[in-house]
Amino acid sequence: MIQRELENLVRMLVWVAFQVFVCNKIHLMGYATPIVYVAFVAYFRFGYPRVGILMWCFVCGLLVDIFTNTPGVASGSITLVALLQPMLLKAIAPKDAVENMSPSLLSLGYMTFMRYLFLLVVVHHLAFFALDTFSYFDIRHAAISCGGSIVLSFLILWGVEHLRTRNRKTS
Amino acid sequence: MRTILNRLIANAHWVLFVILEAFSGWMLFNFNDYQGSVWFTQANALAGYLLEKEADFLKYVRMDAVNQELTQKNLLLQYNNEVLRRQLFALTKDSSFTEQVQARLLDGIRSIPAHVITNSIRQKDNYLTLDKGRLQGVRPEMGVVNGTGIVGIVYLVSDHYSLVLPILNSKSSISCRLRGTNYFGSLRWKGGNPLLATLDDVPRHARCHVGDVVETSGFSNVFPEGIFVGKVVDIHNSSDGLSYQLHVQLGMDLANVRDVCVIVDEHQQELDSLESMRIPDAGGQTVRK
Repeated sequence: MIQRELENLVRMLVWVAFQVFVCNKIHLMGYATPIVYVAFVAYFRFGYPRVGILMWCFVCGLLVDIFTNTPGVASGSITLVALLQPMLLKAIAPKDAVENMSPSLLSLGYMTFMRYLFLLVVVHHLAFFALDTFSYFDIRHAAISCGGSIVLSFLILWGVEHLRTRNRKTS
Repeated sequence: MRTILNRLIANAHWVLFVILEAFSGWMLFNFNDYQGSVWFTQANALAGYLLEKEADFLKYVRMDAVNQELTQKNLLLQYNNEVLRRQLFALTKDSSFTEQVQARLLDGIRSIPAHVITNSIRQKDNYLTLDKGRLQGVRPEMGVVNGTGIVGIVYLVSDHYSLVLPILNSKSSISCRLRGTNYFGSLRWKGGNPLLATLDDVPRHARCHVGDVVETSGFSNVFPEGIFVGKVVDIHNSSDGLSYQLHVQLGMDLANVRDVCVIVDEHQQELDSLESMRIPDAGGQTVRK
């Protein structure tokens, strides 16, 4: 139990650090900035308490907010994704899935997992940019940024997942 | 009763979701209340500390290039100095005038040197974090400059860090004038190119040319007058056609700002202390004593 929560804590800190110190420095053509901490939500096990997912994700979003001066934006959008993740996972998981299956390329299959990840990324980015745009007037700029960021974030997460899978296969 | 309770427990995540989203929304809409939001921004101690360490590391990595640049700049400055001194000598003009002007400009101005810990240029609302805070004498509303022009205005201060609202922020508006005239306007930034800002509300009868120097007007007490801001590169009509909108090439490159100075206005401190004397007494008795 404690080990599981510690694992979550480490996972959260790694994603936040990756976001703050690496991804926030990327601004492809001034538009696309990858937002990768949403992947923290994606890897919660099947059947993990929903209240727990919400709390963890809110804290994760709050940390990102503190480091990027955007109070409310990241925490609000990731909390929404945290609410949807268990429903989505339940909908796409194979019927014979194990009790506490952890979503990954291996457990869900290639296409299913990528679709699942892509959906989470899209929902999160739409919420994120909608909140971010509250103080913004240029809808065209926001739309391009949103689209660009979705593509870039997904590409990075795709790469990360491939690395994870390769490591697990070799170990 | 029991069934209601059971249903509530079964749907606890919905309740929690609404609470968390409400809290996020509250943070989102209270963001303008900066004085209370130290904990939710980079000005808090832990975030500041971590970002400072990162900046230190990056500074160390880039030391070579900076060193080279400094050496070159030093050479250039020495050369310029020599040339200018020779010219001055040749012209045999009264050299003390220049010194007088410089001294007058800097009279009563004290500055606090600071390092930039984080900055951004790609967002619509960019911020800088400095490694000097309240304990070093930085207060909100102080001007921040570096060698190439003005940088911005201090917005929020914690004990050791401060958050600066640079020119490249949609909320920033700085009163500037054209050098040599007294026509003034407000300098704003509308996103996009981080080296290009606009000077709005310049009257139509003002004579301005491409290449004119834009400097601070000194109206706001934040910046002393006459500090270089940039140069006019383009002249447009404003959307209502009643004034000019000048495009200004900024002298300061925010992407490349490392060392800055916070301008301390001595008179401002005097004003502050006067204000603080007034509050406990509430009747102005202290002043009469």
